[in-house]
Amino acid sequence: MKLSFYPGCSLEGMAVDYARSIDAVFKALDIDLVEIDDWSCCGATAAHSLSEAMSVILPARNLSAAEQMGLDIVSPCANCFNRLRFSQQMIQKRVLDIPWPVTGDLKIHDMTRFLAEPPMIKKIEKRVLKPLKGLKLVCYYGCQMVRPPRITGYTDYENPQTLDRISAATGAQVIDWSYKATCCGASIGIARREIGDSLTKRLLDKARQAGAEAIVVSCPLCQSNLDMIQKGRLERPIPIFYFTELLRLSFSDRGNPKWFKTHFTNPVQLLKTKSLL
Amino acid sequence: MNTLAEDQKSVNQPKPTKKRKLIGDRGDYFLNRIEGETGANVSACYQCERCTNACPVSHFMDIKPHQAVRYVQLGWREDLLKSSTIWVCLSCEMCTTYCPNEVGVAEVINHLRNIAAHSSITPKEKNLAVFHQTFLEVLRKSGRVNEFQLMNAYYLKPNILHEKIKSGSFKEELLLGLTLLRKGRLKPFTSRSKAIKDIQKAYIQARGEIV
Repeated sequence: MKLSFYPGCSLEGMAVDYARSIDAVFKALDIDLVEIDDWSCCGATAAHSLSEAMSVILPARNLSAAEQMGLDIVSPCANCFNRLRFSQQMIQKRVLDIPWPVTGDLKIHDMTRFLAEPPMIKKIEKRVLKPLKGLKLVCYYGCQMVRPPRITGYTDYENPQTLDRISAATGAQVIDWSYKATCCGASIGIARREIGDSLTKRLLDKARQAGAEAIVVSCPLCQSNLDMIQKGRLERPIPIFYFTELLRLSFSDRGNPKWFKTHFTNPVQLLKTKSLL
Repeated sequence: MNTLAEDQKSVNQPKPTKKRKLIGDRGDYFLNRIEGETGANVSACYQCERCTNACPVSHFMDIKPHQAVRYVQLGWREDLLKSSTIWVCLSCEMCTTYCPNEVGVAEVINHLRNIAAHSSITPKEKNLAVFHQTFLEVLRKSGRVNEFQLMNAYYLKPNILHEKIKSGSFKEELLLGLTLLRKGRLKPFTSRSKAIKDIQKAYIQARGEIV
């Protein structure tokens, strides 16, 4: 199986650990990820805030490059996925002139839903060497991956299940909670600290109330928001995992503490008490 | 400490009256424009306030989302463009998703933000607007956005650093940045996209200039 991979800017910087774990997991699952030739940024929130035309044109360049490779796209970042899908719909409606040759016929997968399809889940379950028994998790999806449903194609946008299914396949105990798709504030914390903090703190409080020991995410920005706010502030830290990090951990019989060294809230101690590391 | 008499005095004082605005003297021009440009069904709004109740940041807004939709119906353009609402909005799409009449509230607010960005009105949340602007500038320079360069460029914008030092959050953020560098999560050098010329050209074209 071969897919084209649109990493997005975060995976080169803030989310290097996500990038590394994706590499390891897809190698273990025998899926070839080919990075899109010379990809460029999708524009993120800034592009559609200031120039709606650019928010269609910028992702279209990547769609065009992927079409030349002829491979369906898989995107690990929630916002990139959302922008690519949005751009694809606008291209199909022929709302704008795009300076690149593009038809918008490719399928765009978001990585969690791609791995949560039944055959993939079976593949994952077969591949698990060391089930993550006793690890209590809540899954946090964020907004851009599930909403708006007409763009993302999620039908269960109020209670999405993709990450839950993947985490359950690794053998962890997944707890249900009500804040799966509540916004974490995204990049607003850079310019207006108090708004970002109020949103992120509420999420952490609710996760703690639900009885979670760790939060599973799939979005680089959600991870860094939830992770960095806990730096030396909260008495009982909750580690924030990318779902691929959990998969990688369960795929190997002995994990490596080095995998988690970029995290602010170090999960090594938690994993050692559960004898998973 | 206030005495009882003073308290009562402050209660009895008449509240400063706001100048009343006329309703329905603006015609449909702005409403038609927004509906036409976004495809949002603004006229269908019956003010159930579901968008405001779903919004995670509505308490930081001066005009609440349901009011913003009403303002569009009334054509109160400059109040909307001057508001903090359009910049505080996170585009989390809660409002659009839960609207019973499928009014695209987030799309409307996003489009208002676009109009405000191209107008001469100073944004009420200047820092947020400057951050978006900086993001696009960095993107235009190298085709990809490197967080290290983005933050540096943002701090060097007028007034940003000054405000951060004044509020005392600068030291903390500097330490955070250093920790991130040490952990390898911030990369000082970016990998450029080779098609940067094409992207810059597209920018100029999107602005309406002929290349």
